[in-house]
Amino acid sequence: MEPDTKRRKGTEYDTDLWDVLPVLSDEQSRDTKLLDAYAAPITEKRETSRLVKELAVVYPLPDLQHIKRVRARKDKNAPHPLEVIVCLASDVSGLESQRSTLADLLSSKTIDSRGLGEPFLVQIPASPPLTRPQFERASKHWPTSFHEDKQVTSALRGQLFSSSEKAKMGEYMNAAIQAARSGHALGMDAVGAVIVDPQSGQIVAVGHDCRQGTHPLHHAVMVCIDLVAYTQGGGAYEYEKYPACRYSVPESQVTTSHDDLSKEGNHCSSDKAMENGQLYICTGYELYVTREPCVMCAMALVHSRISRVFYGAASTDGALGTKYKIHCQKDLNHHFDVYKGVMLQACEELLDLK
Amino acid sequence: MRGQAGGAAGFLQPPDSDVQSWMAKAFDMARDALENGEVPVGCLMVYNDEILGKGRNEVNESRNATRHAEMVALDQVLEWSRLKQLDPKEVCKLTVLYVTVEPCIMCAAALRLLHIPLVVYGCKNDRFGGCGSVLDISSDDLPHTGASFKCISGHRAEEAIEMLKTFYKQENPNAPKPKVRKGGQSSRGLCCPAEKSSSS
Repeated sequence: MEPDTKRRKGTEYDTDLWDVLPVLSDEQSRDTKLLDAYAAPITEKRETSRLVKELAVVYPLPDLQHIKRVRARKDKNAPHPLEVIVCLASDVSGLESQRSTLADLLSSKTIDSRGLGEPFLVQIPASPPLTRPQFERASKHWPTSFHEDKQVTSALRGQLFSSSEKAKMGEYMNAAIQAARSGHALGMDAVGAVIVDPQSGQIVAVGHDCRQGTHPLHHAVMVCIDLVAYTQGGGAYEYEKYPACRYSVPESQVTTSHDDLSKEGNHCSSDKAMENGQLYICTGYELYVTREPCVMCAMALVHSRISRVFYGAASTDGALGTKYKIHCQKDLNHHFDVYKGVMLQACEELLDLK
Repeated sequence: MRGQAGGAAGFLQPPDSDVQSWMAKAFDMARDALENGEVPVGCLMVYNDEILGKGRNEVNESRNATRHAEMVALDQVLEWSRLKQLDPKEVCKLTVLYVTVEPCIMCAAALRLLHIPLVVYGCKNDRFGGCGSVLDISSDDLPHTGASFKCISGHRAEEAIEMLKTFYKQENPNAPKPKVRKGGQSSRGLCCPAEKSSSS
């Protein structure tokens, strides 16, 4: 949330009124899981490197590469400035916890425990932190290493996109909102979508929900995917009854305007483009949609190889963040980035239209 | 080989002889797809012993990656309902889908949205399957996404897999080899020809 002072009354385009936030995978957004471990103070500082080396042999902690074995006590009054992880509680699970002594932990091990104090239980992060908030939470328990993805960090702070980029997003989303309203005027649910070629900035397809019309599966996203097929000489349905549903052949693919092209000619240029490895379904394209897609539409976007999706409002059974995260689902062969919150208020208002 | 198909869909459970003859026709559709350079998936939609829709994958010819066999057949069921002036949802509620490969996540959601109660399929679809293989859209709790449906699986599964293997051998020699996963089956059930670069 932005502070109230920053909120201004403004037009729908006012980019201060909304944030674009990434929809991260469960691995990136979950709370860090913790493991019980034994740590011990290092009572003789000059033994530190020897102890670390010998502990790494007897208790190697293979899945915990992110854990820094030694931590410095920040508290200056602490009797011993350094502490070291001895082992995981699960490494010595036969022992009664809480009461284990250093002798218990190291009984069967060949290690010189000179310089180690009595052990105590700590909790350490079970997996490496992937985002800065996870890193900050993890570090409260025990120091970890962190290979920061700068892009995710700035995305989480709402700083990934410049205000001019946000203004452009607002324009595309506004086109989707206008389509939603056109559809609504024809008795459809107020959901709109546009597909954009980010290379040229051109809108390739505009669609709205057409469910109440001829086909119960004509959600806005499905309509847009089929309109993109039209730009490549294909397509499966007619949209004559819905003038707001339209497409335009990307400029990067043809030199003449698409009005001059017969379907035949269009087809040929598409074939050529496909041979060059361009223009294949929605590869490289971005989708702006007023509300979070359902399972069918989200998976249709995987099949269509969309490159990024921006949506406004979340939806109850939504498949790009709410119920599923199909854009980063393990086992699927195509993943893409998803951002939500674009023109949130205007998109939420569409949900209330009946 | 059989999954469960009890409960609400029980009354629809077809006798074995029907399953065999409908699935034979679905396999004919899959073969037609294979001959036309499409991923070999075929299906049938049956209502009151009548075939309302027949579909096979037609992604390449339509340049629309959502034109899976199930979506094609559903269109015909809807058209039939329209011509007969019947509520499509009431028709779908009594319609069984016979398909050679487990429906993908998208198709499973579409079948839910239209209230299809029962799906009989051949082999699993480890890459995209929406009836348990990748996600379980068929039975998950999705109160705003139609109704859950039952599945019966395993009919002529080997044959369905063989057809997919043949397709990927013929059509896409340069595609990366599908990863072998736990479970041992070597061919993935594929409803999507996305790795194909050209249909020519």
